[in-house]
Amino acid sequence: MAELILSKADRPAKGKTWPKPASAKRLREYHIYRYDPDQNANPRIDTYFVDLDDCGPMILDGLLWIKNKVDPTLTLRRSCREGICGSCSMNINGLNTLACTKGMDDSTGPIKIYPLPHMPVVKDLVPDLSNFYAQHRAIEPWLKTTSPTPKTEWLQSVPERAKLDGLYECILCACCSTSCPSYWWNGEKYLGPAALLQAYRWLIDSRDETQSERLDDLEDPFKLYRCHTIMNCAKVCPKGLNPAKAIAEIKKMMVERKAA
Amino acid sequence: MREQVITPQVIANPKSKYGNAKASTRHFITQRLSGAINIAFLGLLLFVVVQLAGQDRADMVATLGNAWIGVPLALLLVIVTVHMRNGMRDTLEDYFAGRSYQLLMMLNTVFCILIALVGVASIFKLVFWG
Repeated sequence: MAELILSKADRPAKGKTWPKPASAKRLREYHIYRYDPDQNANPRIDTYFVDLDDCGPMILDGLLWIKNKVDPTLTLRRSCREGICGSCSMNINGLNTLACTKGMDDSTGPIKIYPLPHMPVVKDLVPDLSNFYAQHRAIEPWLKTTSPTPKTEWLQSVPERAKLDGLYECILCACCSTSCPSYWWNGEKYLGPAALLQAYRWLIDSRDETQSERLDDLEDPFKLYRCHTIMNCAKVCPKGLNPAKAIAEIKKMMVERKAA
Repeated sequence: MREQVITPQVIANPKSKYGNAKASTRHFITQRLSGAINIAFLGLLLFVVVQLAGQDRADMVATLGNAWIGVPLALLLVIVTVHMRNGMRDTLEDYFAGRSYQLLMMLNTVFCILIALVGVASIFKLVFWG
C-alpha cells in the first residue's frame, strides 16, 4: 500500500546550527539531513557554514570539509570524486544528483541536502540500497548464451556495439529509480528505471541468445508496466541517459512479440 | 488473497511474479489501442456536440436517432468504458494491493459495465424507437 505522508517519527525537526568558522570571509550555508537509528529521535536538519576559501568548488568538497573540520559524525558515501562510481548520489536542492559533479555555484542560497528519497536510511545521507541491488540482480546483467563458447571471444560488429551506447554508461547511482513516483509507491515490485535500463542493455546485446527468456521474466504488471512515462528518471540522470526511452523500447519489444 | 511477502531474495529472483503476468502485455496493448481509437472517434463526438449546440431536445433526438451517428457513438461509449476500466486498473494497482485491490477492481468493473449498458441502451432507444 502506498504511503502518501511521513509518519510523525520520520518528520525532520530543526537541528543544531554549528558555529561559523572563525576569520572566514566567504561562507556557504549547508542544511543537511541527519539521522542516527541508534538514537531514539526524529531526523533533524543541521546547519553548517563552509569556508569557501579553504574548500574545493563541488558540493562533495563542502561535505568532506564539514566532516573533516566541523562534524566527524556526518555520514555519507563517496569514492571516485569524478562521477564514475555513483557512490555520492543524494538529493541536493530537491534534485537527485551526484555531489561530486554538482558545483556549489550551480545554485544560490543555502544548499539543502537529503538522502535519496523514499529509501530506508542507514545513517544521515546513506540510504539502504539492498532492494535496488537485488533488482539489478533480477535482470541477470551478464551475457547468457546457448551456443558453444568460441575459442577467442564473442564477436560483435561495430553497429551492433553502437546500440549499447547510452545504456552501458549507467553507474547504478540510483538517482533515476529514487526520483520515480512509481518506484516510491511500488519499490519492491517495480524494477525501476535503473534496472530496466540495464535489462534493455542486455536485451539488445547481439551476443546474448536468451532474449525471449529475458522478456518472459519481465512480463508482469509490476516489474515493467509500472512505468507511466513520468520522465523524472531522464531529467535527473547525472550521466545524461534516458531510462524512460529504454523502458519504452522494452514495451515495444513485448508488443511486437505478442503481435508476431 | 494475502499480500505477498517480498524479501530481497524474492526481488533478486528473475522468475518472481507479482500479478497476472499473462495479461500484462494484453492490458497494455488494449489501453494504447483503445486510446488511439478514442482519439479517432473524438472528431465524431465534437461534430455531434457542435451540431447540437443551442438546439432543443427534438433536434437532439433526431441527430442521435440517426443510425450513422448513434451506432458509432454507442461503439465509442463501449471503447471508452474499456479504456476507463483499464486506466483505473493501472491506478488501483499503483496504490492498492491484496483484498482492497480486488474489491475496488470489482467495483471498477461493475461501474464500467453499468455505464456502458445504460449509455448504449439509451442511444439504441433513440436509434430504434425514437
